[in-house]
Amino acid sequence: MLWFGFGFNAFGQIYDHDKLRLDGSEIKVMNPTEITRRVDRSDSRQKMHMKCSGIRASWSRRISLHLDGENCVCLAGFGAIPSSGYCGTYIEESFGCKDAFISESYLTLAFPERIECWNLKNNEKTRTWSMEIVTQSDSSGAPLNLPLVPGGYIAAKPPFYRSLSPQLKAKSLALGAEHVILLSATGAVYTWGLGSHGQLGHGDLTSEEEPRAVEALWGIPMSSVATGGWHSVCISAGGDLYVWGWNESGQLGLPSRALRKAQQQSSQKPEESSNREKNEEVFISIQAFPALLDITQCCEVRTVSCGSRHTAAVTTTGDLYTWGWGEYGQLGHQTLMSSDEPQRVDFFREQRMCVVDVVCGAWNTFAAVTMEEVSCTCNK
Amino acid sequence: MAELWSNISAILPPNETRFPLQFSDKVESSVVDLLKQSRQQLYSDIANTSRVLNAQIILDISWEKLNTGTWRHVDKEWRRVYSYGCLFKVAALCRENPPSDVILQAIRTCDMGLLMGAAIMDNILHALVQILQSEVRKPTKEEDETEHIEAKKLKLECSHVPAIREDLAVPRIMCPSLESFKTNYLLPLKPVILEGIIDHWPALHQHPWSIEYLRSVAGCRTVPVEVGSRYTDEEWSQTLLTVNEFIDQYILNKDGVKSLGYLAQHQLFDQIPELKEDIRTPDYCCLGEGDDDDITVNAWFGPGGTVSPLHQDPQQNFLAQVAGSKYIRLYSPEDTEKLYPHPSQLLHNTSQVEVENPDKERFPEFATAPYVECVLQPGEVLFIPVRHWHYVRSLELSFSVSFWWS
Repeated sequence: MLWFGFGFNAFGQIYDHDKLRLDGSEIKVMNPTEITRRVDRSDSRQKMHMKCSGIRASWSRRISLHLDGENCVCLAGFGAIPSSGYCGTYIEESFGCKDAFISESYLTLAFPERIECWNLKNNEKTRTWSMEIVTQSDSSGAPLNLPLVPGGYIAAKPPFYRSLSPQLKAKSLALGAEHVILLSATGAVYTWGLGSHGQLGHGDLTSEEEPRAVEALWGIPMSSVATGGWHSVCISAGGDLYVWGWNESGQLGLPSRALRKAQQQSSQKPEESSNREKNEEVFISIQAFPALLDITQCCEVRTVSCGSRHTAAVTTTGDLYTWGWGEYGQLGHQTLMSSDEPQRVDFFREQRMCVVDVVCGAWNTFAAVTMEEVSCTCNK
Repeated sequence: MAELWSNISAILPPNETRFPLQFSDKVESSVVDLLKQSRQQLYSDIANTSRVLNAQIILDISWEKLNTGTWRHVDKEWRRVYSYGCLFKVAALCRENPPSDVILQAIRTCDMGLLMGAAIMDNILHALVQILQSEVRKPTKEEDETEHIEAKKLKLECSHVPAIREDLAVPRIMCPSLESFKTNYLLPLKPVILEGIIDHWPALHQHPWSIEYLRSVAGCRTVPVEVGSRYTDEEWSQTLLTVNEFIDQYILNKDGVKSLGYLAQHQLFDQIPELKEDIRTPDYCCLGEGDDDDITVNAWFGPGGTVSPLHQDPQQNFLAQVAGSKYIRLYSPEDTEKLYPHPSQLLHNTSQVEVENPDKERFPEFATAPYVECVLQPGEVLFIPVRHWHYVRSLELSFSVSFWWS
C-alpha cells in the first residue's frame, strides 16, 4: 500500500523541500506525490519502515503510523528534521503505541495502558499530560480509535480528557473546529458544540452543550463519520453520503454562491456569468439539515475524510472524489481551483491505481493506493 | 510610480530587527514561523511571488481562526495576525510599480485588516491606506454632474410619508441646557428631538455630505453592506462592497438591482478618519458615565425604504440625521410584552411584529401598546433612551449618525 499526498506543503509535510526557496509549486502541491518513497541513507541509526499503516495530519504536520510489530510514529512537517528518512522524523517517545492523533499543538499517543499528550510548541516535545487506561473487562467488539478512549475522548486542547456517557455507545468520534460528531454502535449520529454554521445538523444555528442525536438521520444506520472545520459528513451502512454545515467553499458539494462569485471575479468563467440568470440557481451557504449527496451514479462510498474546507471520498470501486476549497491543490485535480461539485481525481485512474483510503489534513489530502485491480469491482 | 514603494518603505520599520512580532501562546509556533519568514522577506531580495504567497498563507490561516467560535471570543491575537497578513500582502502588492487595479486590491486588503483585524504597529494599516488612496484619486467633473441630477431625482421619489398625529408626536426642544435635558428627558428616560444642536457640524454646512463628496473621500474603500429588506428576513445577508459599488448598485440602481442595500451599523468613522472630522460628539454625552472612548459611533447610509425592525439597545442613543429623512416609532420598555420579542437568544432584543403591517391575529396586544412617532429631518437629533424599542424606515436617500453611550 502506497500513500500519496497533495495540497498544502509549506512545512514539508507532504515531501521535503528547500524552505529557503519557497517555490510556489512546492508549497501548493498540485500533482499527487508519493510520500513513502525510499531514501538512500548510509546512516542507519534511524529506523527504516516499509509499511505505513496510517496517516494523520494537522495544518503544519503529518504523522505516519507504523503498526507492524515494532509500532511507532514518524513526523513530517513543521519541526521535523528535513530529509531525515523514509517518511519523516522517527519519534522515540512513540515506540510501542497502538494509535496516534495530531492536532496543531499536540501529539496524542495511545499505548496499551495509558494515553499521553505531547506538547509540540516550539518543537520541543514535552509530555504535557497522561492518563492511565483501565482495560475494560467487557471489551465490546472493535478497539477504540483516537480521539476516542475508554469512557470518553481526548480533546484538541486542555482539559484533554472529556467523558462521554456510556449510553452513547461511542464507536467513533471526530472533532471539527468548533463542534464534535459521534457515531454510536447502534448507527446513530450525535453532534454537539457550536452550531452557527449549521454543522450540528439539527436544522438551526443554535449550539448544543450535550450530545444531541441528529434526528433527520434516525432510522438510517451510519457506518462512519467525519468532520471538516465547519462541516460534517457521514456514510450510511448502504454506502450513501450525507453532508451538512458550511458550504462557503463548496465543501458540501452543493452549489455555493460565494464560490461562483469568487470565480467570476477572478474571471475564470466569463461566459457563464453572462449567460446565467442571476437568481435562477438555488445556492446554499449553510445546510443545517443533513442532505444526501450523490457523488457518482454507480458506486457506493467506502470512506470519507475532510479538511478545513474540503471533502474527499473513496468509492468501493477504488476512485477518489474531492470537492470544496482547492486553492492549495488539495483537491488533486492539478489546478488551484475550488469546486462545489464532486470530481474524480483522475491521476490515480491514469496510473492504474486503486484508492483504498483517504485522510485529510487541514489543507491537504493523503490517499492510500494499491496496485491490485482485484479490489476494484467496477470498470467505469 | 516607484514613488509608491518609497512612500510605503518610509512608514515601515527600517530593518528586520526593528520590526516587532510578538504574540501570546494563543498563536501556534508554526504560524509565528511564517510571520517571521514574511518579515525576513520584506527586507531581502527574493521573488515577489514568494512574498505574496507567504502573506496569503498567513491570511488564510488567520481567517479560519477568525471564523472559529463566536466573534466576541475570537482571540485578539488572531486578529493581529490577520492584520500582519494584510500588511505583508499590501507591501508585496505595491513593491514593483503596481497598476491601478492592483492598488485598489491593496486598498481593499487594508480595509479587510481594518474591519476584521486588530491594530498593529501604531495602526499602520491606516497610514498605508491613506498613501494608497492618494495614488488613485482622480475625480472627473462630468461624472459629478450626472450624479447630481440622479441624486436630485431620488429626492423627489419619496417613499410613502406617514402623517404624524400631534398627540403621538415625539416632543421637540431647541438647544436645551445640559441640566434641563438631564432633568426632563435623560433621568425620566423620555424620548425627545433636539433641534439646533448639530448646526455646527461640517457635515451639514462646510462639507455637506452628498454622494459626490462620499465618493471622493471614500469611494474605493470597502465597507460592510446589509442586503435584504430587514435583518429578520431569511433572505437577509451581509456582503462587502466598495463605497462606489454600494452607491452604484443600491443607491443609483445602475444594475437594475431589485433588493435593498443598507450600509448599517458600521463604525465608518474609525475606518475613514476624514469623515470623522465632519461630525462632533453631542455635548450631552458627557452626562453619561463613560469616557469619550466608550461612545460607539455608527454610520447609517442607504436609499429610501431601508427598515430597521422594532428592537431595543442596551445603551442610550443620539440619532443624528444628516441627510434625508426617516420615519421613527418608539415604544416604552414597560410595554415589552405587547411587542412580542423573539424567543430565541439571538433575536431576543427584536420584536416579531412588522410595525407598519402588524399581523393582528398573531400579535393581538400590539395595537394596544402606546407609542410616539416622528419624521426625523436633517439637522435634528433624536434621543432614544436606553432599552426603548424603536422602529426606523428611511423615506428617501438618508445618512444618519448614531452615538451609543451610557
